[in-house]
Amino acid sequence: MVTLQINGQSHAVDAPDDMPLLWVLRDLVGLTGTKFGCGIAQCGACTVHLDGKAVRSCMLPVGSIGNRAITTIEAIGETPTGARVQKAWLDIEVVQCGYCQSGQIMSATALLNRTPNPDDSDIDAAMAGNICRCGTYVRIRQAIKNAAKSV
Amino acid sequence: MSKKGWGIALGVIAVIALGVAYWLLAIPGPMSFARGGTVALADYNGANPTGVPTELAHADLIKRGEYLAHAADCVACHTAQGGQAYAGGFAFNLPGMGTIYSTNITPDKETGIGNYTDQQFLDALHKGIRADGARLYPAMSYTSYTYMTDADALAIKAYLFSLPAVHAPARNDNLAWPFNHRGLMKIWDAFYNADSRFRPHPSESAEWNRGAYLAEALGHCGECHTPRNPAFAMNNRSKYAGALTAGWRAYDISSDAKSGLATWSDNDLASYLSTGHAEGHGGAAGPMGEASDDSLTYLTAGDIHDLVVYLRSVPPQDTDLPRAVTVPAPASHRQGVTADLDPRGEKIFAGACASCHDWTGVSPLSKYATLTGARAVNDPSATNVAQTIINGVNRKTAQGVIFMPAFGEAYSDAEIAAVANYVTARFGAEGAHLTEQDVASLRKQVAQQ
Repeated sequence: MVTLQINGQSHAVDAPDDMPLLWVLRDLVGLTGTKFGCGIAQCGACTVHLDGKAVRSCMLPVGSIGNRAITTIEAIGETPTGARVQKAWLDIEVVQCGYCQSGQIMSATALLNRTPNPDDSDIDAAMAGNICRCGTYVRIRQAIKNAAKSV
Repeated sequence: MSKKGWGIALGVIAVIALGVAYWLLAIPGPMSFARGGTVALADYNGANPTGVPTELAHADLIKRGEYLAHAADCVACHTAQGGQAYAGGFAFNLPGMGTIYSTNITPDKETGIGNYTDQQFLDALHKGIRADGARLYPAMSYTSYTYMTDADALAIKAYLFSLPAVHAPARNDNLAWPFNHRGLMKIWDAFYNADSRFRPHPSESAEWNRGAYLAEALGHCGECHTPRNPAFAMNNRSKYAGALTAGWRAYDISSDAKSGLATWSDNDLASYLSTGHAEGHGGAAGPMGEASDDSLTYLTAGDIHDLVVYLRSVPPQDTDLPRAVTVPAPASHRQGVTADLDPRGEKIFAGACASCHDWTGVSPLSKYATLTGARAVNDPSATNVAQTIINGVNRKTAQGVIFMPAFGEAYSDAEIAAVANYVTARFGAEGAHLTEQDVASLRKQVAQQ
C-alpha cells in the first residue's frame, strides 16, 4: 500500500512501488484528466505537479513520491495561477481536440509560477516537451502571454 | 662510412630494436603491481581466494558452477541480441580486423560444446585452444580466465552442461588477412597468454587476494578497462586506465584522484558494483550495464567488499578524464552553456530530455536519471553520452527496470552530436566536440549484424 497526497487529499492505493503515477491516477484513483500519450516522457500529456514542479507522471514511480504534494488538472483551477491560465485558454479558444491540453495547462502554470513574465525563449524551454498534434502552439504561446499580463 | 661507422650504426639499431621488442612484448602481468612475490595456491596459508564464497561452500557442483559462471559473465558475450542464452552469435566488431562471432556453449552435441571433455574445456579457458585444436581469438578472454583454477573451470562446465541444449551453429567470422589465420595466434599466445593458474600474494590480505581472483580470473575487468598495446594485448603498464571497447568507453577504474575512483567512497563503489548505480556518480549502461545485470549483481556482499579492496589498491593512472563536476547546473535554460554550441542541442534537450533529466541535471523522476557527477557526462569525448542517446538504457535490476528510450532511430547523426556536446558542456566538466561523422562511427561500432 502506498499513501499519496493528491489535490490536497490523502489516498491509500494498492500499487507496487514501481507503478508510474499516471496509472495510479487514472486506474486506481479515478482521476482521468491526466492523459497517456507515449509512456516515455516524450509528449507531455501526462504532466502533473509534484510540490509545484511540472513532472511527467508516466515515468514517475509511486514508490519514490513519499508525501510530496501531487496536483492534477482536476484541481489546478483552484490555484490563482491555474485559474488565470484556464481563463486565458478559454478566452482565445486554444483547445481543439483537447487531448494534450491537460499537460499544456499544467506545464504553463508551473512556468508562470516560476517566471511570471516569460519571454519566447522561456516559453520554448518550458513547453517544448508538450506536443500538440492539432498544432495549437501559436494560441498556447499567446495564451501564456495573456495569462502573464492578466495578474 | 667506415667499417667502424657501420658497426656503430648496426649496434644502435640493434639496441633500438631490442627496446621496441621489450616495450611491445614484455608486458607485466595484471597483478604485478602488488606487494611482494607470489606463491602457488597450494602453498598459500590464507583463506582460499578461489572458488565460491562461504555462503555457497556446501552447495552442489552445479549451483557453485552457476555462481562462478555469473562471476565470469559467460552469458554476456555468448548470447546474441534477442538470442537464446549461451547459444552464441554475438558480433565483435574489431577495428581494422573485421567481425567475429561468439560460439554456442550450450551442451548441444552438434553445434555446442556437448562433446567437450574436461581437458578440452580447460584448454579452451586456459590456453585459448578449442576442441579441434584450433586457436581461439582473444575476444574470448582466455588471457584472464587462464588464472581460474581447474576446479572452478570444471564447475562452470558442469553448470553449462546442466542447461538445455540449443541447436545454433556458429556464424562465419569475417576477418581480413592475416587475422583470419588462427595459427598465428600461437605466436601471440606465446607472448601474451601467461597460461598460469592464480598465484596468491601472501604480503597482501586475504580479502585482497579474493578480490584479485574475482577481478582477474573471473570478472576479467582488465579486458575492457585496460588499454591495449599495438598487438592488441592488455597493456598492464597502464592497468585499469580505461579503453574504448565495443564502441563504449570503459572508464579509468584505477585509484587516480582526477580520472579514477579516488573520489568514490567505499560505499559508492560497493553500491555501483552490486546495483550498477551510485548516487552522485551515475549508473552503468551499455556493456557495463550488462556486466552489472548479468554478473556483478549476483555476487555476495562479501565478494563485493573484497573486489572493492582490490580495486582500491590499483596504482593511479592519469588520463584525459577531468575531475567530475558535482554541482548541479543552473535551473534556467539561459545559464550554464557556452556560445559555440550548435543551437539544436539545446532545442532537442528542451523537447526530448529536460522532462526526465531537468535543466539542472538532477532528475525529478528518478535518481538513475540524474546526470550530475556521472563520469559519462564528465568525459570530453562524450562517447558514452552519445551511445546512451542512440541505444537507450534498459536495465533489469533487482530494484526494478531502469529505462531510457533509444533515440538513435529518431534523430540524425548531427542532432545527436549536438545534444551530446550540449549535455557534456552543460552538466559536465568539459564540453565535447563530436561531429556527425563521429556519431556515424559510434553507431557502426555497436552494430550487431
